[in-house]
Amino acid sequence: MNVFDSSLSLSAQNPSGSRSWEGSSCLGEVSQECKAFTDHHLSLSVPCCVSPKAMCSGKLQTGLLVAGYFIYLLVGAAVFQALERTAEKQEKMAAAQMKEAFLQNFTHLTVAEMEQFMKNLTEAIQNGVYPVGNESQIEESNWDFSNSFFFAGTVVSTIGYGTLRPKTAGGQIFCVFFALFGIPLNIVFLHRVGKMLSLLCKKLGKFLYEKGMRKKKIKFLTLLFFLATGILVFLCLPSLFFQKTEGWSYSEGIYFAFITLSTIGFGDYVVGKQPDRNYFSYYRTLVAIWILFGLAWIALLFNLLTTVLEDTEKIIVKDIHQIGKVSKDNVASQQRRCWPAEFIPEEELLPPHAGGDAQKMESLAPDSEHPKTEKNAFS
Amino acid sequence: MLQSLAGSSCVRLVEQHRSAWCFALLVLGYLLYLVFGAVVFSSVELPYEDLLRQELGKLKQRFLEEHACLSEQQLEQFLLRVLEASNYGVSVLSNASGNWNWDFTSSLFFASTVLSTTGYGHTVPLSDGGKAFCIIYSVIGIPFTLLFLTAVVQRIIVYVSRRPVLYFHIRWGFSKQIVAIIHAIVLGFITVSCFFLIPAAIFSVLEDDWNFLESFYFCFISLSTIGLGDYVPGEGYNQKFRELYKIGITCYLLLGLIAMLVVLETFCELHELKKFRKLFYVKKDKEEDQVNIMEHDQLSFSSISDQAASMKDDQKANEPFVTSQSPTSNDSSLNN
Repeated sequence: MNVFDSSLSLSAQNPSGSRSWEGSSCLGEVSQECKAFTDHHLSLSVPCCVSPKAMCSGKLQTGLLVAGYFIYLLVGAAVFQALERTAEKQEKMAAAQMKEAFLQNFTHLTVAEMEQFMKNLTEAIQNGVYPVGNESQIEESNWDFSNSFFFAGTVVSTIGYGTLRPKTAGGQIFCVFFALFGIPLNIVFLHRVGKMLSLLCKKLGKFLYEKGMRKKKIKFLTLLFFLATGILVFLCLPSLFFQKTEGWSYSEGIYFAFITLSTIGFGDYVVGKQPDRNYFSYYRTLVAIWILFGLAWIALLFNLLTTVLEDTEKIIVKDIHQIGKVSKDNVASQQRRCWPAEFIPEEELLPPHAGGDAQKMESLAPDSEHPKTEKNAFS
Repeated sequence: MLQSLAGSSCVRLVEQHRSAWCFALLVLGYLLYLVFGAVVFSSVELPYEDLLRQELGKLKQRFLEEHACLSEQQLEQFLLRVLEASNYGVSVLSNASGNWNWDFTSSLFFASTVLSTTGYGHTVPLSDGGKAFCIIYSVIGIPFTLLFLTAVVQRIIVYVSRRPVLYFHIRWGFSKQIVAIIHAIVLGFITVSCFFLIPAAIFSVLEDDWNFLESFYFCFISLSTIGLGDYVPGEGYNQKFRELYKIGITCYLLLGLIAMLVVLETFCELHELKKFRKLFYVKKDKEEDQVNIMEHDQLSFSSISDQAASMKDDQKANEPFVTSQSPTSNDSSLNN
């Protein structure tokens, strides 16, 4: 799933503007007040209207998040470098050796001629034309209708393999406009498909509830069901299928499935592109249906994981605050004098203070969906 | 009486399933859109591809004729190996050997494209360990990215959208809707020029064989996270300051993504779009015993304010003295 998908689809999920707290965090144990408190202050950092503790918590949270993200990127880069550098070196040496051997076999070939030939070939490959093989392949084009349909689908879902790429200026301009309108359309569409999938889980939950199970157990079981069936149906079974039809190994199939469904879409593995295999008709259509439902499932999965991360982060921030509060009690009491008296919270009165801040936030968020609060703010 | 009953039941049927009709329309519209795209792409690109195939066929023939000692089979074998290596980003041409794909800055660029789900594909993990690590890294990293982007965009939106709109609404007295629409359009223009036009101009200067249209195309394909990979900056021969360049591109992609999300969120908060979107979504049932497990509404942009509203609703019922505080808090917020 892509970042637009989750952000836009998530923001559209409560048209009625209310939501239930029942299943808000399946795995986190954060208390309701703390969650509401930090939720408000995640989105608003108005000075002098917020208690110092809340402001600190919001800024600390964001700071931690930003720092954590960049550290994550750096760590990933280092690990990739360590893992891949040797493989790349070997590949380069093998390619150079092969070139040497080839030139030695055919000594009348000059290096310049061969380089020119290979350059032309590589360019052709990058344009999707595969020059190896017999002449009958010339009839099959990369831009016939079904391949163009597949390309349109990869653009709109933002997977973007890149094995097929528009080369003409007209194609590129059209691609830009096509994606501009197609991506939001895709997001809305996938959101609905995701709702259908989660309805299944809800039905299971209801069924178990009627059988008399406790809510926590139902939550856990439904989650497990969601994960297990999803992984089976969208990752494991298709990999077996691809093993038969594409000749990849099982792990390559899983790698392809994940890279496609997360919309990363490198393009190193693409279905239906092996020149020496016969694919049955409707192969691509089947794969497209799989991609569609898989995209929706992975979007739900990523939402779930994001919730887990967010809750973990809040727990960490709360712990840091506990530690900080013990040592900085005097400083805090001095700082409190600069805030207006109404807004100084006693530690016990956190929920109503959160309510007060929410009122403030309503006044600053002009398009809330509650007409009552709008009237209050702008009467 | 029967007629009116039948009429009303028909209307009720349509009304009840209005959301379903809208969804069916959505599916149809989506398929039609894909078909339309396929037709246009096909008609635009096919002639060019034809030309290229013929050219390539002739090139290969000529090469084989010039070097008669070379059999076609040997050439094919050689080509297969070269193309395999080329797929992985390893070029056999002698003047392209300077660029490493997996030094630290290139790996950083690669990690950022994986986490933003762009995935160019110009470098891919070759080893099995790399592929496995890529999967695990993304499973944790993509939600992390979502969390990160949400938090950052939330903060930026307050300063960039909500406060200016409120300011103009109060100072100039226009209605909120008009101010919001004008503000959204102006923000869109500024973002397009700052994150598309100017970087496109910069790339067309820095990259040897990119013209302005190709640079703009690259910016769009990257920032929308499609990431075809046909244009990747920093891969030219003997690129000066390659490391710095790659880091700069990574920062540009991250900032651009954040800017795109801010603009998207600003547009989505417009009233008209909200009403339009509601057409397609299922109405939520508010049953008490419903086990809401998959309602992951936590991380949303506009619904953070919705959450606040709902929290306020819950708490107004419980703590009556909140409402007595509200007039004072409103006054002080307006006076700020």
